[in-house]
Amino acid sequence: MTNSAVKDVFVMIKQVPDTRSKAGLNPDGTINRAQAKRMLNPFDEYALQAALNVKKQTGCRVTAITMGPPPAIEILYTALEHGADRCYLLSDRRLAASDTLATAFALWKTIEHLNGFQMIFCGLQTTDGDTAQVGPQLAERLNLPQVTYCEDFEVVGDKLHARRVVEGGWQRVVSELPVMVTVANSYHPLEFKSLRGARMVQELMRNEALRSQYITTVDLDVVGADPDLTGLKGSPTIVAKTDKVGSIGGNCAMHQGQAVEALVREVTLQTNLLEFAS
Amino acid sequence: MTDTDQTTPPQEAEPNKPVALNANDPLGEVWVFCELQEGKVQTVGLELLGAGRQLADKLDRPLAAVVLGHNLGEIPRQLIHHGADKVYKADHPDLAEYRTLPFRRVLCDFMGQQAIPPHSMLLGSTTTGRDLAPRIAAHFQTGLTADTTELDIGPYDHKGGSDASKIGLYENCLYAIRPSFGESLKARILGPWKNPQMATTRPGVMIPLDPDPSRTGEVVDMPVHLQPADFRLTIAETVREATAGVDFDNADVIVAGGYGLANADGFALMKELADCFENGTVGASRKAVDLGWIPYVHQVGQTGKTVRPKIYIACGISGAIQHRVGMQNSGLIIAINKDPDAPIFKFADHGIVGDLYQVVPEMIKQIKSSKGSKEVSSVGV
Ligand SMILES: Cc1cc2nc3c(=O)[nH]c(=O)nc-3n(C[C@H](O)[C@H](O)[C@H](O)COP(=O)(O)OP(=O)(O)OC[C@H]3O[C@@H](n4cnc5c(N)ncnc54)[C@H](O)[C@@H]3O)c2cc1C
Repeated sequence: MTNSAVKDVFVMIKQVPDTRSKAGLNPDGTINRAQAKRMLNPFDEYALQAALNVKKQTGCRVTAITMGPPPAIEILYTALEHGADRCYLLSDRRLAASDTLATAFALWKTIEHLNGFQMIFCGLQTTDGDTAQVGPQLAERLNLPQVTYCEDFEVVGDKLHARRVVEGGWQRVVSELPVMVTVANSYHPLEFKSLRGARMVQELMRNEALRSQYITTVDLDVVGADPDLTGLKGSPTIVAKTDKVGSIGGNCAMHQGQAVEALVREVTLQTNLLEFAS
Repeated sequence: MTDTDQTTPPQEAEPNKPVALNANDPLGEVWVFCELQEGKVQTVGLELLGAGRQLADKLDRPLAAVVLGHNLGEIPRQLIHHGADKVYKADHPDLAEYRTLPFRRVLCDFMGQQAIPPHSMLLGSTTTGRDLAPRIAAHFQTGLTADTTELDIGPYDHKGGSDASKIGLYENCLYAIRPSFGESLKARILGPWKNPQMATTRPGVMIPLDPDPSRTGEVVDMPVHLQPADFRLTIAETVREATAGVDFDNADVIVAGGYGLANADGFALMKELADCFENGTVGASRKAVDLGWIPYVHQVGQTGKTVRPKIYIACGISGAIQHRVGMQNSGLIIAINKDPDAPIFKFADHGIVGDLYQVVPEMIKQIKSSKGSKEVSSVGV
């Protein structure tokens, strides 16, 4: 176990507005960021599980890293509850309005600031940005090979054997370490948190000295990132304009709580389904 | 700005507005990355040539198709017939199958050598395009917009922001338009400060041009200088199922089944319902396909087909984002799911909460009996 080629694994996670609960959603379906509840980006749960599975296999150390405002510490607690060993929160006002390139830059600097790693796991995409870009952009900065859309994998000696999704099927690849992996949502779901982890986090929340042993907060100065290359200034793109598009979603007519015959009758009466009957 | 623009009398510029900046001067070409799969050009590349043609015409600049592979043969000509003025090709055994690092090397080397960088570059939002585009964008530190659904060219007046050096009126910006925030907003994303302005586009969104065999164009070889570090990842095996055989385009109604069917036999029921319609076809979620319940040709979604039937009936499908992007533009979506909190009810038009094995047979029954009554009434008339 201890002589594995993998000693340190990083997992990049993000806090996003909670779109699962209704709170914080404007009537038109947009997010009211001030009121919205927050959650761990659901896609990142798979990345976290991937990192924890490597830990199970190799005994490596798992470091969870996030960039966000101070409340993002909540998702680091989640990572610790599930078995991460240490966490970094990159928090800095100058990061506001970072696009994916600027985000990848700041995360790159944070990773460089830490000691080495053999694998970096990212979620496939986020639910608030939906771009799937930060992982590969980070890999480019770090000059790493990458396995995107990874559904399953195994560390074999000093290589990663992985299966990734492609159009029409899948692909098996073998990569040297270090490597960046974006984990697909068809990977194993996040397991339950451990009792030990949950207890420890309870303790951490009360005890600042203990907390600082597990969670380190850094800013751009600490990681040595040029503020001009991140945040609004370092972002090559800008959202110039948003338009509401009619009523996509949120308007589903629900048919339930009656006999099946009545439910189907409602649908055939309220739609043009029967027009297409042969 | 082009030379002719510079002859515009200065008094025509609106007061208080800075003169258009030269970030785009001289204007570069429009590049479209055309991906291959098993040596064949993928439809998304042809669709992007269609979209790129319009952008290039608005800019009055050439449209270039970029293609990497091995034994390309007639492919460059095919791309020219589909609208490209130029083809940049790399034909090399190490490029026979897509791998991030070799493709990135050839493209970044070649783009870096251009005296004038391309104005914009478009790629498909596929597992290849989404893998490659961010690497190129990060290499050149340029902007990239994912999953665009519309593209256009137009001006942009950047008034504020924390960076004074960015303020100005920019002509000829790429408008990269994409849905955001759970698709209830459409965002126009711009990045006029640096070229190429990059975007990926989902398959099935843009319209390819009809091929015109009389079109001619220039074919240019891209040099291939791969380095040992480009071979850090190798492909052991790629398994793909056939991608042709089901006609989704002409289907009025698609009856799609998912993991909720619980077994392969469930698709017999899907077929029975589909057969109740004049033009009905069976679709499936990836999970059902992965389990071998039905061949891949039936798969709808990001890595399957994008469909737009008049009616889409989803049975036992949860509505994962990758399924949604393939069917959300259907005329009407009816979802049957036993879980009232299934995500598919967030974007379906009609939701039936119940066991599909009760609901679908009932639906078949009602459709068949309505057909009976239709015939009776037409006899009566
Ligand atoms: C890169 C990538 C690409 C992908 N591409 C695609 C793609 O192209 N297409 C695609 O579909 N997926 C794709 N996926 C997979 C996708 O993420 C989901 O895993 C998949 O769509 C889920 O399939 P499902 O809805 O059938 O199964 P599940 O998510 O398991 O949902 C089954 C549903 O059936 C319901 N159910 C169960 N029993 C019954 C019953 N008796 N009656 C009624 N309802 C019942 C359940 O409540 C549940 O909602 C992709 C994933 C990745 C990572």
